[in-house]
Amino acid sequence: MTRVLLLAIALLSAPALAEESKGDIAEGRLKANTCTGCHGITGWKNAYPNYHVPRIAGQNYEYVVAALTEYKNGERAHPTMRAQGESLSEVDIRDIAAFLSSLKIAE
Amino acid sequence: MNAIRDIKPLFACALIAAAFVATPAFAAKGDLEAGKTKSLACQACHGVDGNSIDPMYPRIAGQYADYLARALHEYKDGKRKNVIMAGFATTLSDQDILDLSAYFAALPGKLDDLSKHEHAK
Repeated sequence: MTRVLLLAIALLSAPALAEESKGDIAEGRLKANTCTGCHGITGWKNAYPNYHVPRIAGQNYEYVVAALTEYKNGERAHPTMRAQGESLSEVDIRDIAAFLSSLKIAE
Repeated sequence: MNAIRDIKPLFACALIAAAFVATPAFAAKGDLEAGKTKSLACQACHGVDGNSIDPMYPRIAGQYADYLARALHEYKDGKRKNVIMAGFATTLSDQDILDLSAYFAALPGKLDDLSKHEHAK
């Protein structure tokens, strides 16, 4: 009986989990403050190797979540981004992704 | 005098090394038209115009060309791991990567630098 109950709870809570998977834009705006240090400056270049820090305003939600999670898990190499990723919770990542993907190109 | 004789070969080596290092910089230019032709495979996921509709895939139109090239090289070398991208990137030459990066960077995109939005409310 307990097992059935647990299963039922698990099944019922699944949609709730799916719903909370989208981050909070307002929260993300605050949490993305650090990002502007490198991603905010037009034409800013990574010191070494020398290439432009990517434009991330307006980037797609799921891609940003995947990228930050990969940095967090050490699956993408960039040292600064790995350090940032490690400091982020999964909720932080979703919030930041929601904020970034909500941005429309500046006029 | 001895010191100069010792240094000479070193200097020659340095010159040769510098020439090798500098050569790719001269050749490193992407061709937009060639990039357009090569971009067909990319369009399936990244959209015809580089503005991926499926949020799973990044928008690449208007992204910095050198960042796109860097990413493609990392996929090719296996430093960035993605099954789909590895499949494509391993088939690309250095010139293909330059051409594709130049092409997508030149497309009008929805990406922007964050500073323009920092205080946007």
